Amino acid sequence: MEKQQSEEINLRRTIITAILGYVCLVVLFYVLAGHQLHFRASRGNFSQPTAEAGTVELAQGAVVEQSFSVKIQRLQNISVQWGTYYRPNSGTVTMELINQADGSMVLSQTFDAAAITEGGTTTMTAAEPIETVYDAPLLLRIYADSQPGQGASPMMSTSAVQEGFSLSLNGEPAEGVLCFSATGEDYIWTGLHYWEFAAAFGAVLALAAALIWRRHKQGKHSYVVNVLVAMRKYRFLIRQLVSRDFKTKYKRSVLGVFWSFLNPLLTMAVQYVVFSSLFRFDQPYYQVYLIVGIVFFNFFTEATGMALGSIIGNAGLITKVYVPKYIYPLTRVLSSLVNLVISLIPLLLVTVVSGIVPTKAYLLVPFALLCLAVFSLGVGLLLAALMVFFRDVQFLWGVLSMIWMYLTPIFYPASILPEKVAWVLNVNPLYYFITFARTCFMDGISPEPVVYVQCFLMAMGALLVGALVFRKTQDRFVLYL
Amino acid sequence: MGKTVIEVNDVTMRFRMNNDRIMSLKEFVTTAIRGKLEYNEFTALDHVSFTVKRGETLGLIGRNGAGKSTMLKVISGILKPTEGTVRTEGNIVPMLELGSGFDFDLTGRENIFLNGAILGYSEAFLKEQYERILEFSELGQFIDTPIRNYSSGMLARLAFSVASMVEPEILIVDEILSVGDAAFQEKSRARMLELMGGGTTVLFVSHSMEQIREMCDKVIWLEQGHVKMAGPTDEVCAKYIL
Repeated sequence: MEKQQSEEINLRRTIITAILGYVCLVVLFYVLAGHQLHFRASRGNFSQPTAEAGTVELAQGAVVEQSFSVKIQRLQNISVQWGTYYRPNSGTVTMELINQADGSMVLSQTFDAAAITEGGTTTMTAAEPIETVYDAPLLLRIYADSQPGQGASPMMSTSAVQEGFSLSLNGEPAEGVLCFSATGEDYIWTGLHYWEFAAAFGAVLALAAALIWRRHKQGKHSYVVNVLVAMRKYRFLIRQLVSRDFKTKYKRSVLGVFWSFLNPLLTMAVQYVVFSSLFRFDQPYYQVYLIVGIVFFNFFTEATGMALGSIIGNAGLITKVYVPKYIYPLTRVLSSLVNLVISLIPLLLVTVVSGIVPTKAYLLVPFALLCLAVFSLGVGLLLAALMVFFRDVQFLWGVLSMIWMYLTPIFYPASILPEKVAWVLNVNPLYYFITFARTCFMDGISPEPVVYVQCFLMAMGALLVGALVFRKTQDRFVLYL
Repeated sequence: MGKTVIEVNDVTMRFRMNNDRIMSLKEFVTTAIRGKLEYNEFTALDHVSFTVKRGETLGLIGRNGAGKSTMLKVISGILKPTEGTVRTEGNIVPMLELGSGFDFDLTGRENIFLNGAILGYSEAFLKEQYERILEFSELGQFIDTPIRNYSSGMLARLAFSVASMVEPEILIVDEILSVGDAAFQEKSRARMLELMGGGTTVLFVSHSMEQIREMCDKVIWLEQGHVKMAGPTDEVCAKYIL
């Protein structure tokens, strides 16, 4: 009776903590995600076609006009690419953006022609994003006051075809598209309704908590309460097993724990030297790009590799003491997680040394780590279960994880993959987690809200599959050990 | 006596054994395709029922392969019975075979906590009992040495000390009483008797009739998975020896 009482109090406290935690997370996320919660790069952005020819020399009287329309909710930038005839030019060029629906001038800016470089661009930026030109007929007009022989020329693509676009040079219609780009942002529906969403989800949580509470009061066992009880019961064991893994890992090495720190740094250094001199990927902050990929993927291979052998390796215990069997893969993943957290130190060191200024988006990285860990746990559970029945799994997994490594953009930029295999990235959960972290570390901003959902679903999906297979087979483990 | 803490209800344990143990995917697939996946059913326990009350010491006897160890595994939850149910109350502590819960790179002290955690003890409890465990094991200064440097006698002493120093509600002993030197053997036997007198329920498997007679209140005689005979120690032992 007394025992029951203490559990009840515990449940009430847990529920209250969970709800308070939820509120804190909602507010924290609102602050951290910031701008990216409300806007994302517009799906209607028009990117510059490849330059194939010059248009006309923009001297006094010459005019290049491109009419177009884009589905951008908040238009911000219009850029034009130039050719200079490889000579110094002078005078000024003016870019104007006109809304043809009502003939109003939306944006205009004048640039010094002398500052234009061959293949360079000039960009007009709206002081305030323009929200009135969504899908409107727009006209980009470019003219100059340069003397003939001193004017630059906007570039064009003669082969590009774009529905509804038309180019005219000095009033004459021309085939092709001007080398220009129009970029901006779209509103994100979830961002507009963030608080409604948060409240609705909170209400669902509160309802669930109330249900659990009622069931508990009635003395029924609910799933959540069972999990809580198991968590309390096995907390000490999990901690012991994790610290065992961790202590024994480096026990007889001289540098000890320092290896967790050194390993990613050395791997990064080697790959950096090899790939930056061999392939010359055009990737800003390449060293940061590398180390994020290395740290994440190393965790994945380590955690899954250790979880794989966890049931077999503890056969001596499993056949003698009853402990929930999921404890073994779980602790292996947790001890890899400790390693991962340590290897964040060299990662941060590399970002700082590379000259990236830390932003509040760094605080969002734990979400990616958590998803990665949950995903690895799911895969680990699956592998550990399969391994009991088929010992070939360990060799198969060695090959598979190597293939997986090459299919994940760790040391190469995602853009070098040919179109035909690009779909592989879209179904590769690790790519999502790594890209999430890279966005936070390298761009200093939060990924789009939809990326959070994708990461979460992939992690939970893997966990669900792994846990189901594990649960279904675990009673037979002991017969095969 | 006390209330029932173990209730074994019509338990049947059947194993499906492959003719030859298939351990690789390739073999599995090829034999499955050839239609040669044959299983031999083997019944280790056949409708076994009994109850144990709090504080009782129950001996399980029988010849090799009679199902004694399987019975212990079913009771401790390691094996799930094919049919029937087992209900137990309180934490069950198996006396581990020497070293099976140990990590050889850790020190004796770390192993006490690790092993204690595996056996289901709480942290506070272990901290409280630590001195007693250490004292009982007679390891002294070696407690902070990695146990890979221990002699087998020292390991046995450590294992026994962890498993027995604490007071489990149900203790499962599968033939391990002769550990360490003569003095320690005597000490561990005394400790076992003390535990059994002190309210702990004990399940005891042994081939030594002497030990069974000395320790058990009740004996169950298993033969080929059936309960051949159950009753007070003297009666069953007398029949068994015949």
